[in-house]
Formats: sequence, structure tokens, C-alpha cells
Amino acid sequence: MKNKIITISMMAAIVLIAPSCKKYLDVNNTPNNPLVVPPATQLPNTEVALAWTNSNELDRAADVLVQHNAGLGNNPAAYDIYNVRGTMDNDWDFEVYNGAVSACVNLIKQTQETSPAYAGIAKIELAYAISVATDLWGDVPYSQAGQGLTFAQPRFDKQEDIYQGNAALGITSLFDLVKSGIADLAKTSALVPGTDDLVYKGDLAKWARAGNTLLLKFAMQISNANPTLSKQIINDVITGNNYINSTAQDFEVPFGTAVGNQNALYAYNNVNRPNDQMLSTRFLTMMNNLNDPRLGKFYTSPTGVFTSYDNGATITAPAAASRSKYNTYITGATGEAPIRLVTNYQRAFILAEAALVLGTPGDAQALYKEGITQSMLKTGITQAAVDAYLLANPTVAILTGSTEAKRQQIITQKYISFVGNGIEAYNDYRRTGYPVLALAQNAQGDDPNTIPKRFAYTNNEIQRNPNVPTPQPLTNVKVWWGK
Amino acid sequence: MKQSLLIIFLLFALGTINASAQSKTVKGTVIGADDGQSIPGVSVTIQGTGVGTQTDVQGNYSISLPAGAQALTFSYVGYASQVVQVGSQSVINVKLVLDSKALSEVVVTALGIERDKRSLNYSVQEIKGSQLSNRGEPNLLNLLQGKVAGVQITGASGSAGASTNINIRGIHSFTGGNQPLFIVDGVPISNDVDRTNGGSLGTNGDNQPSNRALDINPDNIESVNVLKGAAAAALYGSRASNGVIVVTTKKGGNANKKAEVTFSSTYETQKVYGLPELQTDYGQGTLGAYVSTSANSWGPKFGSTPSVLNGLVTAAGATVPYQLYADNIKNFFKTGSLLANTVNISNGDKDKNFSISIANTRQTGILPNTDLNRTNAQFNMNTVLANKLRAGASIAYSNTANKGVLGGNGSSTIGSLFVPRSYDLQGLPYKDANGRNVFYAPGVDNPYFDAYENPLTSNVDRLIGNINVNYDVLPWLNISYRIGTDTYFDRRKQIFAISSARVPAGQVLQDNFYRSEINSDLIVRASKKNLFLDNLNASVLVGQNINQRKFQNTTLQGDNLTIPGFYNESNATVFTVGSGETSNVRRLLGVYGQLSLDYSSYLFLELTGRQDQSSTLPVGKNTYFYPAASLGFVFTDAFKINSPILSYGKLRASIAKVGKDADPYLLNSVYVTAGYGNNVALFSFPSNGVSGFTTSSRIGSNTLTPEFTTSYEFGTNLGLFHNALTIDFTYFHSVSKNQIIDVAIPTSTGYNTFTTNVGQLNNSGFEALISATPVQTRDFKWDVSLNYTRTRNKVISIAPGITSFPIPGSKFTGTIPSINVNEPYGIILGNKNPTSPDGQFIINPATGTFAPALAGQKIANPNPDFLAGITNTFNYKGLVLSFLFDTQQGGDVVSFSAATYRGRGLLKQQAIDREQPRILPGVIQQANGTFTPNNIQIAAQTYWQSFGTQTDVSVFDATTYRLRELSLGYTVPKSMLGRLPFGNITFSLIGRNLFYKAPNSPIDPEVNTAGASNIRGLELQSAPNSRSYGFNLRFTL
Repeated sequence: MKNKIITISMMAAIVLIAPSCKKYLDVNNTPNNPLVVPPATQLPNTEVALAWTNSNELDRAADVLVQHNAGLGNNPAAYDIYNVRGTMDNDWDFEVYNGAVSACVNLIKQTQETSPAYAGIAKIELAYAISVATDLWGDVPYSQAGQGLTFAQPRFDKQEDIYQGNAALGITSLFDLVKSGIADLAKTSALVPGTDDLVYKGDLAKWARAGNTLLLKFAMQISNANPTLSKQIINDVITGNNYINSTAQDFEVPFGTAVGNQNALYAYNNVNRPNDQMLSTRFLTMMNNLNDPRLGKFYTSPTGVFTSYDNGATITAPAAASRSKYNTYITGATGEAPIRLVTNYQRAFILAEAALVLGTPGDAQALYKEGITQSMLKTGITQAAVDAYLLANPTVAILTGSTEAKRQQIITQKYISFVGNGIEAYNDYRRTGYPVLALAQNAQGDDPNTIPKRFAYTNNEIQRNPNVPTPQPLTNVKVWWGK
Repeated sequence: MKQSLLIIFLLFALGTINASAQSKTVKGTVIGADDGQSIPGVSVTIQGTGVGTQTDVQGNYSISLPAGAQALTFSYVGYASQVVQVGSQSVINVKLVLDSKALSEVVVTALGIERDKRSLNYSVQEIKGSQLSNRGEPNLLNLLQGKVAGVQITGASGSAGASTNINIRGIHSFTGGNQPLFIVDGVPISNDVDRTNGGSLGTNGDNQPSNRALDINPDNIESVNVLKGAAAAALYGSRASNGVIVVTTKKGGNANKKAEVTFSSTYETQKVYGLPELQTDYGQGTLGAYVSTSANSWGPKFGSTPSVLNGLVTAAGATVPYQLYADNIKNFFKTGSLLANTVNISNGDKDKNFSISIANTRQTGILPNTDLNRTNAQFNMNTVLANKLRAGASIAYSNTANKGVLGGNGSSTIGSLFVPRSYDLQGLPYKDANGRNVFYAPGVDNPYFDAYENPLTSNVDRLIGNINVNYDVLPWLNISYRIGTDTYFDRRKQIFAISSARVPAGQVLQDNFYRSEINSDLIVRASKKNLFLDNLNASVLVGQNINQRKFQNTTLQGDNLTIPGFYNESNATVFTVGSGETSNVRRLLGVYGQLSLDYSSYLFLELTGRQDQSSTLPVGKNTYFYPAASLGFVFTDAFKINSPILSYGKLRASIAKVGKDADPYLLNSVYVTAGYGNNVALFSFPSNGVSGFTTSSRIGSNTLTPEFTTSYEFGTNLGLFHNALTIDFTYFHSVSKNQIIDVAIPTSTGYNTFTTNVGQLNNSGFEALISATPVQTRDFKWDVSLNYTRTRNKVISIAPGITSFPIPGSKFTGTIPSINVNEPYGIILGNKNPTSPDGQFIINPATGTFAPALAGQKIANPNPDFLAGITNTFNYKGLVLSFLFDTQQGGDVVSFSAATYRGRGLLKQQAIDREQPRILPGVIQQANGTFTPNNIQIAAQTYWQSFGTQTDVSVFDATTYRLRELSLGYTVPKSMLGRLPFGNITFSLIGRNLFYKAPNSPIDPEVNTAGASNIRGLELQSAPNSRSYGFNLRFTL
């Protein structure tokens, strides 16, 4: 009897302890992450993703390759002597594709039907992100990119198809993508961006201008390879007359002063890796020769003089406290400088070059001067000082010589204005060969005799995606639009 | 303590004095009861004295007895000892009976069920507590190293509290845990490694935090049973596919039923071991010239005349102080020490008993500012109530405090340590008057600065306990219930001083981990003898298991400190980066059953089944069943083989399947807070009050099914020469399928991974455990135990179209531990210098150096060819000498330390003929495609820097021979203790890692930066190993 009582009570205890199975096991809903978030929470991320793509590692590589900066340590020192392999996985992976691209594709998908204002912005942003990737790497995933398992191993679209489109392969040109985005902006939208839009605070008209200016940038980028299309696009945009034509309309992403909200240029150069790079002797020489007042806006001179280092040199670097490095125009006093993706001065230089080379409407000289002026104003130089500079330096201010010589002037000034946006300077250099850059000292890399004409594909993508082109092009092979 | 020592020495002295007067002689012959043959070498001792003799070749003996001697003990290996009362006899002939116990010992198996080893149809290896305790090593896993067949154990480094990796019979899961399940007194406990490496630590910064088995006090362990295969572990369910480590702590109760108090003290010193020999001729600089910021030692030769050209005279005309600091790296390491004290009080008998154990282990590490301080307190009790209900409880509390420093590539304590030969690391300050970092290299932490100013502390409070009741309802029916818990908090704090290279603005990071597991088992067992036919015995077990595991990690990261040296969150101004919380809960319901049949104690059949229902799988598809079957046959008994050579023989075979559920919350795709960058530049939402979310890089799947591992095991147990030599040999093969993994996909998909059931991973191999007693005489006994492990692992498939993907975890860009189809698990892909078709390096004709390396090539395989360990134990009159030699043969290690030593010109080899030009081994490709030998002369610096790259030239064969343990102990004979209050006194000298030889590696290859992890064979500038020696004193009252 006792036995039975004990047995039964033990059994009963267990039954009581064990709750109903279904309820007991229903604990698999994550408390850590939301399953749905509104577009207003996604848009800020797409913008920062673009800024980060433009200004982090890819920019560091580009800015030493174009010799704005010289590398002293770590990756910048490697890039300076053309060792560009194996260090850009984070950027391809988490800034471009699993950053800007996935965020934009997802936002487009979510908002295309109901809130196309968001989809429109995201399309313009997506086009920008893809252009950065194809400009640097050549053939890259685009039409199948960012769509998850729908295309588990995305195809590498040819650069010419990315820019020009390829209906047979289902590739929408970047031009059409931007145009479709601009069209979306005009549609009725249930939700519209406001303060969540870090760039334009919900001003969709400015987004349309940014989109059209992006068309100009793309068109100029392919002007060697397809001048006809280039000219046609630029003509259309000029006719539409709805592009960025004041600095207040610049497509730039704001940053903050708090740790974790600072722009990448500040975080890298002023906080975490202050000793990796500094002003290039070559850029310093150029600026000195041109008496350019922007030098002090772009770079610091802690000892009162600009202290530089030559690209690829191995001698002891100047004392850390004396080095000229990015100044507050680029980094902000505490990291708050915006990352300038598409600007008014850039538009002016593009139209100047287009007028000169493609014969599009506009006065090349006036546009050229506008570009210099807008760049200088943007750095904080007064209109009076700009005027004085241009007056005192007619060899800078006035386009002279052959068309090619004039183009060199335009691109050189554009190159100067792009300090801090190395990718655009690098794109122009590879397209035009300007400014003329001497090889870095002690160059190595795939080809020590050629400033890299492209970046090498990243290890992760090589490991995971069999569609990476084989043989992988060396860095001395030009991209489709390259010179 | 001093007094105790004095007593010990006195006793030693006493040991030399002979025993008392002799008055009587007894003689006789000893024969074996099995074959009637005389047995030579039988030990004959006078009971209670330790005095004795042994039989001669004819089995005869003769012994003089002192007055008052009452009994003789006859013992011989493989036979049961016999005690014979002397009385008035003067001739005593003895028949010794074969000891069935020698091979039918009781071992603890799954669910804590004690079984006769003879009836087990799978391999189980028991390690006695005495083989683990008092060894001066706090981590149980390190103590198991080299002792268990079929098991690979690798420590992360010699850093105090560093984690240790253990894999049983290979690797079974692509990306999940491959560590075995740990059971302490019937309760599953966590052996997890929780990593603190937020964004600011980068992917490589880590102080190698402990695996939580560290919280167990090895000195309070009765035994450890290693259940290697799925058949042995199947009843434990989901987590058994990697094997099980069953730890049984010491219980109260002893044969003489009296209260016993045991004290044990160990003191040990530890020194760094395995640093390479460095050159002493050249100091800081590059290309033969002094450069004050250079990390290299390619500067001028010591004693060179200072000049502007060689940099030793500055432009201003000052001469630079320049001399050798020969031990600047070596002297960075301190002499560590370890003091461990344990007190154990126990009382009672087999049924009613209790024990209390209190222990403390204090270790100061070989690295500056590192330590470990562990306190354990445990109470065990068992009782039988009047109604025969047996009840027991155990509660164990531990507190483990650990302070560690950062390792890893980059600016860490270890990463910064490769200083130039002329750098006065010890003499120069590491911080200035403002407390800021001072070092020769800008933007890099001085290793002292990093060690003293940027430590990580961890403080774990842990409670492990269980309550169990057990009742014999009927003589053949037993019901038992056990509920247990393992709960701990790990409160961690990582600080970064202002000006530290990784976090220049300073940081206070609180990283708190909570884990809690509750596990209950209700088990009903029934047995019936002579079921259906004579000698067929059956037993049945059915059980129910309820399990819940909870985890929470909360992180508060305070950035941007204001006041130097004040490390409180109140000193921070930004809290939005890296702060957050993650928690999860998982539950499981299981039912299981086992049928065991035993025919005449020589034929054994066992059938097992378990059905689990898990919270982590899709509702409706979350129930899964897996069976196991095993067969054992003692052919020596079945065929009545009674040979003196083959005393015991058993063949066994098993097949078992184990299912495993998913981790929590894998079914959905989610959104995450967006962030960009890494340790060199980082962005994190919210930004200026605006939050930003994005799609997680992982794509979820709501069609997950359980993953299954099927294991096959064949083995034999043989006892030879009256079981003086025993062999336990097992062949195993396992197939792990349908793995639930986050498969890495190209990020051009917009995502980084997707969760799915894919892939197949096979393991096969064999393990052998050979134990022998080659010599046993009255005073002398030599035991030897040899284990051998050979595991082969192969990735059969991943996902359709995917042939390669990286193992998640800490690594360095470009050197990727990977899972590749048709390769062993964990091969390392990296940059490989291109070679000609006949395998010679291709030289770049423009530079004379290696042609540009190709990325993503297989450069290393960390899996060893085999492991072996041999323990020899010599007993001579209470003196015990024991040493463990082990070896790893084959396997590779990728060493960033070696690359750094070479590239920076630090090794002894690099001072040889440094002024002479060199030619890299290799060939130059000609225009016509042919290859000619390289003839381009390059400087020694260029030459060695070609070997100092993160490529295949930094891969080394990890073959190692090691004297892992040595101990020399003396147990004072009881007879000598007389009226002293001691029951037992043992004094031991102990040493660990006293010697190693790695013929093909410039560093000790037995390090692994990732520690307990799926990433193996990657040394990203880890702390080196240590050598330790000391003594232990143990006595009972």
C-alpha cells in the first residue's frame, strides 16, 4: 500500500510539473529582433549605407591611388604600393551588397505599390551603389543582386550591360533605374519620408534633382565607351532642367559628433587609425604650384607648414604631430562632416566636360569656372577670395589650348575638388588619365608599373560565388569605360 | 602548513627504520584456480604492515611473520586478492581465482545508470579522479588531454583561464557546437564559451575566455566517464551526437564508515615555454638603417659606427642610443604561480552519507595582469528513509574570477609584443604623465599598456544542483526521479583606457551573460531474470525528460570617456554603440526507452529509442524519433576459452542515430539594427536620434527538420595474460546529415547566410586503449596505459551549388578556416604563393620575390594524422612515479607569430649572413613557358620578408612530442603513521609540459587563438604555452 502511495504521488508530481506540451513548447518567437519594420526606419539606413560605401575602405584605397594621400601604415600603405588584394571583403560584403543593395532592394519591394516615394528614393540610391561597385570592380552582380535565394549565386553582369541595359538578359540600365525612381517620386504615396530622410528631409523635388544629376554622372562615366548614349542622356537632362544647381541641393549624408555616429573619414583618420595616412607630397606640390586656397581647407598644417609624405616612400615619416591630414571640411571638427555623394560643383564640371567634348549645350568655360567656384565656396572660402584667386591665376581660371588640354584642366580641378571622395577622382583618372600621376615609389601589386585600373574581386565572393569571372582580371586590366 | 611539512619529513625518516622482531615462518605454493598452474611473482604481504615477499618461479614463497601478525594477503594482477588468516598454520597453499572484476567493473553510463562494463556494447572510457586531481591544472579538459582514446583536446594558450577545445571522434556539425555534452552528477551543465568581442575589439581581439567546464574543481571528482559514440549517449538525446563527458563528484561514505577529512594543497610555478630563439646582432630599423618608428629589426648591426647614413646619427647630429635588449620579449612574461587548496569532509556509509568540499584555486598568469581565482563549495548528501525511499541532493556553488588581456592580430598585448631587438621594453615607460600610451610605433599599444590598462575581467557565480529520489516499488521494479539545474551569471567588464589603439576615446564595456538550464528525468526500470528461458535476463527502462535552457546577454557599452583612469559607466558619454540585449529560451520534451537482454552473461543485446519534441523546430514538424541497437558477445565465455594467454574476449557492434534540433529563432528572417564598419571605423544606429533597421544578413527557414547523425561502431575488448594486458579497440564511422546551418552565400545576394538543412559530414577512424602491468612484484609495480586516436573527417556535401564556405568565428581577412566539399572539416583557405607544375615557387622576374599570391587556396589542414598518449606509472613501496608522454602527428598550424618573427627579422636564423644577398628558392617563367631556376639576388630583408607574409609560407607542420605530465609521489605507509591522526599522507612533485619538441614549427604549435571553437589550427598571435612545476601535499584526518 505504502509502495503504491509513493509511486502514485511521484507520478502525480511529474504530471503536475509537466505543463501542456503545446504551450510549453511555444517559446520560439524571438524577443531580440522585429519581424517587420516601417519604411521610415529603413530609409535612414539606406542613406548611411551609401555614405559608408563611398567613404570607408574603398575611399581610402582610391584616395591613396590618386595620390591625394600617401599611406604610412596598415592598409593605406599597402594600397599605396598597389597591393589592393584581400582587404575589401567587408566593403563588398557589408557596405555595398549586404548593405546598400539589400536595403534598397528590400525597401523598393516593400513600398513600390503603396508608398512609391520610398521606392523612388531607393531606386536612385540603388543605382548609385551599383555604380560604385561596377566602376571599381568592372563586371559585378546587379540584375540578380540583393534578391536573396531567388538568385543564390548572382550573375556578374557586364559593365556595359549595367550602364546600357541588356533586354535579352533582363538587365535594366542604371539610367532606366534612376528614371524609374524619379517617376516613382511623382506618384501618390501613402507614406512619405520626413525627418527619417537624413539627406533631404523628405523634399522629393530635391531627390528628383539628385536623380537627374546622377544621370549626368553616369553618362559622363561612359563617355569614352558610348559617347552617343552619353550625349543623349546629358542633352535630355539639360533639357529637363531639373538637376542639382545649387549647393543647397547637394546629395550628401549628414553625420554626427557622437562616437558611432561620426563619418568614416573622421573615425578612421582622427580616432582609430590616425597614423595610417597623410597628405601626399605629390598633391601638395600640385596645390602649391596652383596656389590653390583649398589646400588649407582639405588638409591641416599643425606646425604652420604643410607636411607631406611621398607615395610609396619607405623613409621615416614626419613626426605624427606635424603631419598634414584631412581637415575639418572633410572630417568635421568631431566627425560631423557630411559625406558628399553628388554635388553641385561636380555637376558643373561634368557639364563643362560634356560641353567641351560631347558638344552638349552650355559654355564649357563658364561651367568650368562655376565648378571651381562652387567647390571653393563649399569648402568655406568666401566669394571674394574665390574671385580674387581666379583673377590672380588666369592659367587656372581660363581653359586654354587643345580640347584635350582643356579637358585636363577640367579634370584636374575636379580632382582637386574631390579630396575626401577618392572614388570619384579615381573614376575620372581611369577614364581620362588626368591628372597625370607618376608611379608610386617601390610599387608592387599585380603590376608595379601600372596604377591599378580596377580593384581585385574579394575573397569571400570568390569562395562563395562560382560566377566570379575567371580568370579574374589583374588590376592592370581596364574596365569597360576605362581609358 | 609548516608543521605538516615537518611531520612529513619525520615520517620519511621513519620509513628507513625496519619493522619489529620476527618470530615465525610460513611457506606455501600459489596456483591458479583456473588452470592449476603455479603462479610466479604473486605478492604475499603481511596484512596491515606493507611488509612482504613474492612467489618464486615455481610459485613457492616463504615469509617470516612478526609476533601478532594475523593474516597474509595474496595478490596478483588479473586475480582476486585473497586474505588468509594465519592462525597456527605454517604451510598455507593458496588457489587464486581469476578476477572477473578486472573486466567487469562498474561504470557510469547514460543518465547516471551504473552498469557492468562487461555488458556494454560500446566504448566507454573511465578516468579515475586520482588521474585528474592534485595536478596543478585548473581546467578539467586540460587534465584529460592525452589520456582518452578517440578524443582530441587542444588548449588555446598558456594564458590563465584560456579555453580548451575538445572533440570526440571528430567533428559532427558544420557550424553548430562540436563540444561534447557535460553531465555533472546526472545534470547537464554548460561548457559554453561566451565571447566578449564587440565591434571595438574587432574580429581578432579576444582574451580567450574560458570554457565553462573550468568551473568544476578537478580535485573533487570521483571519476570522469567519456561516452564516445552515439550508442553510448543516445539516451541523452539531442546533444549526444558529440559524445558525453559524465563527471561524478566525490560522495561521502567509505568502507570504514568513519568521518574523514582530506586536505590537499598544490603549489606550482609557471613559466613561458616555447618562445623561439631570437637573434642578437641587429636592432630596430629597415634596410640596414635605424628608423625609430620601425617595427622591424632590420636595422644596423650592433656595434656599427653611428652615422647619418645608418640612421644612428640624427640630422641634428645627435647619436641615437642603440643596444641589444636580449630578453625584452622573454622578460615580458612573468613567472606565474598557482596555489590550490581543497578540504573535503565526508561521513557515512554507502546508503547514508554526506560530503562537504571547499576549495580555492588562485593562479597568477604568465602574462602581466592576468589571474584566475576560483572558489568551489559543494555539499552532497544521500539517505535512505525508513520506507526504503532513497533520496539524495547535491548543491555546488562556484565563483570563478578571471582577468585576461587581449590577444590577436593587431594592437593587442600579444600582437604588440614583437618589439625590435634594441627596444628597451622593460626600461622605457609604457605610459606618460597623463596616463597615455607610449610606444615606439604610433597608433599601436605598448604591450604593457594593453595588459595593464585594457584588461577584461570575468566573474562567474554558478550554482549546480540536483535532487533525486529513487524507490524500489517491487524487487524488480524501480522508479526514480531527478531534477537538476545549472545556473550562472558571468559579469564581465572590459575597459579601454583613453589613448589605447583600439578604442582611443576609451570605453567601459559591461558584458553580462546568464545561462540557466533545468533538466528533469523520470525513469522507471524493471528487470526480470530467466525470462522465457534460463539465463536470459532482461531489463527495461522507460523515461521522460523535460529540459529548458535560457540564455541572456546584456551589453552596456559606454564610449568616449572623460576622466582618465576612471572606469565607470558614469564616465562615458555615448551608450548607443554595441549596447543591447540578446536572450533566448528553448524547451524540449523527450520520452525514451531501452531494452537490455543478457544471455548467460556473454551475449548482450540492447535496443534504445528516444523521441524528442523541440520548441525550436517548426510547429507540427518538431517531433522526431531516433533508435539505437547494439550487440555484444563475450566469446571467451561462450566458447569456454580458458587460455592463460587469452583470458577475456568480447566483440561488440552498435548502430545508433541521434537527432538534433535547431537553435532558437532560426525560422524567421528578421530585421536588425543597422551598423557599418569594423574596429577601424564604425557606425551604429541610432544616429542623432533616428533609428535605422535593416534586413538581417541571415535568411531564415520555416521548413527546418532535425539533423541526424548515424554512428556505427565495431570493437573488441581483449584481456591477455590473466588480464595483465587489456586491449580496447574500436572502429567508428559516423554520418551527419541534414545539418541545420547558416550556409554562407555570396553577399551579392544581399545576404550573408541562409539557414537550411543541408550537407553531409562523415567521420571515421579508430581508437585503441591498451593497458598493461608488465611488472608486478611485492614492492614494485609498473602500469602502462597507451591510447591512440586516428580520426578521418570528410565533408561530403554542403548545399546544392555550394562547394565551400567559411566557418563562422574569429579569423583574419584572407585566411579563412573553411568547409570544402571532399576535404576534411576546417581546412584553411588563404593566400598561396603560385608554384610551377613541379611545385616550385614562381618568382617575379621584376623583383626576385614570389609572384603575387593567389587568394582562396587551400593552405593548411589542421586535422592531425593521429594522436597518441602513453602514461607510465611506477609504484615502489609507496613511491609513485607517473609520466604522460603524448604526441600529435601531422596537422598544420597557420602561425601569424612565426610570420611576424620572420618578417621583422627577429629570429636567430635571420642574423646569419645578413649582409649577404640571397636568392629565393623558385623558378622564373620564361617567355616560351618554360621555367628556369631563380637567379635573382635580393637582400636578406627582402628574402625573409617574403617568408613573413600571411600566405602558405606561414603554415607549419604541427607534429609535436610532449612530456605533458610528470609526478613523483610518496604515500607514507599506514603502518608508519601509527598513532598519528593521519589516515593517509601523500607528497608529490608535479610538473606539466616540462618538455616539448615540434620538429617542423618555429613556435609551439599546440595553440589555437579561437580556443574552444570550430576554428582550429589558426594562431593569430596567441599567448604562448607555459611550463609548470610544483608540489602537492595531501593528507586525511
